[in-house]
Amino acid sequence: MADHGASKINHDNHLLLDQPLLRLPHELLRKNIRSAHYHIEWDTNAVKDLLKETATNSINQKASKQDVVNNLDQMLARMRGLKRKLSTYAEEENRLYRQSTARVAHLRELSDVHTVEDVKYEAWSRQRLDRLIVDYMLRHGYNESADALAKERNMLELVDIDTFVAMSKIRQSLENGSVQEALAWCNENKKELRKMQSNLEFMLRCQQYIELNRSSCPKLDAIAHAKKYIIPFSNTYPTEVSHIAGLLAYRSDTPHEPYASLYNSARWKMLADLFTDAHLKLLGLPQFPLLHIALSSGLSALKTPACHSSQQNQSHQGQKSHKSATPGPGQDDEQETRSHGTASLQTSVCPICSTELNALARNVPYAHHSKSHLLEHDLVLLPNGRVYGKAQLDEYADKSRLDEGEVKDLVTGERFREDELKKVFIT
Amino acid sequence: MASEKSKLEVLEEEYRKINKLPRLAKAVENVDKIIELLSAAREQVASDPESHTTITITKLQNPVKTAFEAVNDGLKGAAAAHKKMGKALDKSFPLKPLPTDHDAMADHVSLINRAIAMHLLREGQFSVASTFINEVQVTLKREESADLDEPMDEGDDGDEGMDADEAVSTTSSENYDLSSFHSQELQENFAEMYNILQELKARNLMPAITWARNNSVELEARGSNLEFELSRLQFVWLFKGPSVNGLPDDENNGQRGALQYARSNFTRFQARHLNEINRLACSMAFAPNIAASPYKQIFAIDTAFSDVASSFTREFCSLLGLSAESPLYLAATAGALALPQLMKYTQKTLAKGTEWTTSNEMAFETPLPESMLYHSIFVCPVSKEQTTDANPPMMIPCGHVLAKETLQKLCKGTRFKCPYCPSEGMIKDARQIIL
Repeated sequence: MADHGASKINHDNHLLLDQPLLRLPHELLRKNIRSAHYHIEWDTNAVKDLLKETATNSINQKASKQDVVNNLDQMLARMRGLKRKLSTYAEEENRLYRQSTARVAHLRELSDVHTVEDVKYEAWSRQRLDRLIVDYMLRHGYNESADALAKERNMLELVDIDTFVAMSKIRQSLENGSVQEALAWCNENKKELRKMQSNLEFMLRCQQYIELNRSSCPKLDAIAHAKKYIIPFSNTYPTEVSHIAGLLAYRSDTPHEPYASLYNSARWKMLADLFTDAHLKLLGLPQFPLLHIALSSGLSALKTPACHSSQQNQSHQGQKSHKSATPGPGQDDEQETRSHGTASLQTSVCPICSTELNALARNVPYAHHSKSHLLEHDLVLLPNGRVYGKAQLDEYADKSRLDEGEVKDLVTGERFREDELKKVFIT
Repeated sequence: MASEKSKLEVLEEEYRKINKLPRLAKAVENVDKIIELLSAAREQVASDPESHTTITITKLQNPVKTAFEAVNDGLKGAAAAHKKMGKALDKSFPLKPLPTDHDAMADHVSLINRAIAMHLLREGQFSVASTFINEVQVTLKREESADLDEPMDEGDDGDEGMDADEAVSTTSSENYDLSSFHSQELQENFAEMYNILQELKARNLMPAITWARNNSVELEARGSNLEFELSRLQFVWLFKGPSVNGLPDDENNGQRGALQYARSNFTRFQARHLNEINRLACSMAFAPNIAASPYKQIFAIDTAFSDVASSFTREFCSLLGLSAESPLYLAATAGALALPQLMKYTQKTLAKGTEWTTSNEMAFETPLPESMLYHSIFVCPVSKEQTTDANPPMMIPCGHVLAKETLQKLCKGTRFKCPYCPSEGMIKDARQIIL
């Protein structure tokens, strides 16, 4: 029952990794509407006020005809500007709705699939992996690869290249020692950042101040900057602010802490990470790639004690020589066989034992099983301590053209007489 | 089942409705209206005599006000649609926070990069793979040069120092893998596999047969019949003649071609597959009406090509020591299947502050479908523990199997009694087995 149940898809819980797929466009829509709102408010109020003022002035004969025309021109310019901005937001809105629709349709496809064995599931799950890989690439800044894969697989609507590319641009500017782009972003998202209690803006302002200290000798600029941008934070971050204040007394080559680390250029990397964290949090995205979550859960679920066992898996080192070695008859032949390391014939290599994941899985725990699960039935023990299914041994003996009454170890290639076999009982 | 709609079907329907709601475009329309009103008024003021100005501008007030309200309504509409979407999401796709307090994979970027690169190659995405490998190298180089520039800092941000430290140690030990990977023969191997599979898809068996012949010794050692299976299919394929296989209608095709192919190729299989060869030969006698003959199964090849393609993939990868299916695909799929259990567990242990990756064995079961089990699992029937290298399975003389630690506990002196049958045994007669 357990196995049968395991291949059934639990629809309520199968799309955990796919939540950001719908949540992100929803979040971006919110941001988009908010920006639109901001601009509407700003321009509308300005135009309304000006219109009222113009009317009043006109009634009171304070405004000439030319003044009125000028004012109207001013209003027109404002409204045209608003239209331009709003059109961009409307376009973005359409794009996000289009994207959301495509994504829901993609997730809905799974509703028709009820077991893991269904061929449709494989196709769907492959696409999910592609999505996870693109997400991984984007988060590591491998943007070209992400773009290439998404295009190749025709799934641009299912991945968030624009969002991440914009993010990685800001990140890169920080890594290159510029705070302007990140500060602009902070300004755009002031409210949310405050709600999140993010210290990003403060840290960026500090960095600006540190750079002013580094470059200018009469530190007037630095002092002015601190007065304007850093002192307001002195209640929130008292320690940091006092360190910052002390920095005035030290040159950038000081060996004294904490000032030496304030001058350290490694801070840029730290700021870049801080920005990335804040950005992901703001959009409700997980802090690390979804692929990591899938892998840490999947590797464990697949891993067995045998996967890193010294008995079954001495095989992988043998792999490289394998191609070039010319297998001869007899002893050599058997050596070759051993190096393939598959416990059972005709089965494929376990994914955790495979080169791709073996080292990665080394540090995760193996799956918990409360019941024995044997791939073969009717087990027999060979004199060398290895256990196989009887049918498996017979088949291999047959294929290896052994004499009647002889069997051959599937892994080591040793030959034994059938009367040396012992039955094994697994309870 | 069928009549009941799944949550995502409901969600899709909701989205369809939301898609019809007015959006920001409505606001843009009304901004346009304002522009019209303003420019009309401007023209009028400019052309009319000075005395009309006040009337025009006063008259303008109300329509503009209404239009501004409409702009606001457009915005409200868009916000309402967005809110509706949020509600639909919460109802049909409720947010379940992912376990993100601990990233067990963070220190293994190079290993994951390698797994991805190999996955892409496997899938035949050669150009994406090479873009990816290049980007990874460039990033690595950049990070390395950055690391060289500055010595590690020690100071109030000690945490940062630690992270960076780890990153350095992992890159230096692991990045070798990926830089050597670029030139590795693996890429060529996958390219070869991919080409052969492409040919198989196009119903051309020859490249696969050539490969199988070149590797016949290893394949035979694995007990694989691949070469023969491919050759037999080639025979059948030729036998079907030009109308089916679309090959040129000459002496190398059709029944004559098949016979000729058999003569020149089947002798090498005689020792192992005499029976099948005889059957193929006999089938020639039924040539005019194979479908009604006892041999019809040999000639029903609807799935034969995809079957040989998958056995080819399996053998090809096995000879390289690789899993036939992409391990990354399997792991990600298994991950999605096991994630609900993991989340349930992490939620419960969150309070205790223990991390689930710290012990050797997971603390909860993550059932996977049978097709995802690759090794036999032995759970000691007494201790209920899985056997490991340290605690291996032991077979006692009666044939029952127990974990070594269980056996040691059962022992009284040097003797023990089997918990499953009446027989007794000596500890020295128990032997370790490899399942």
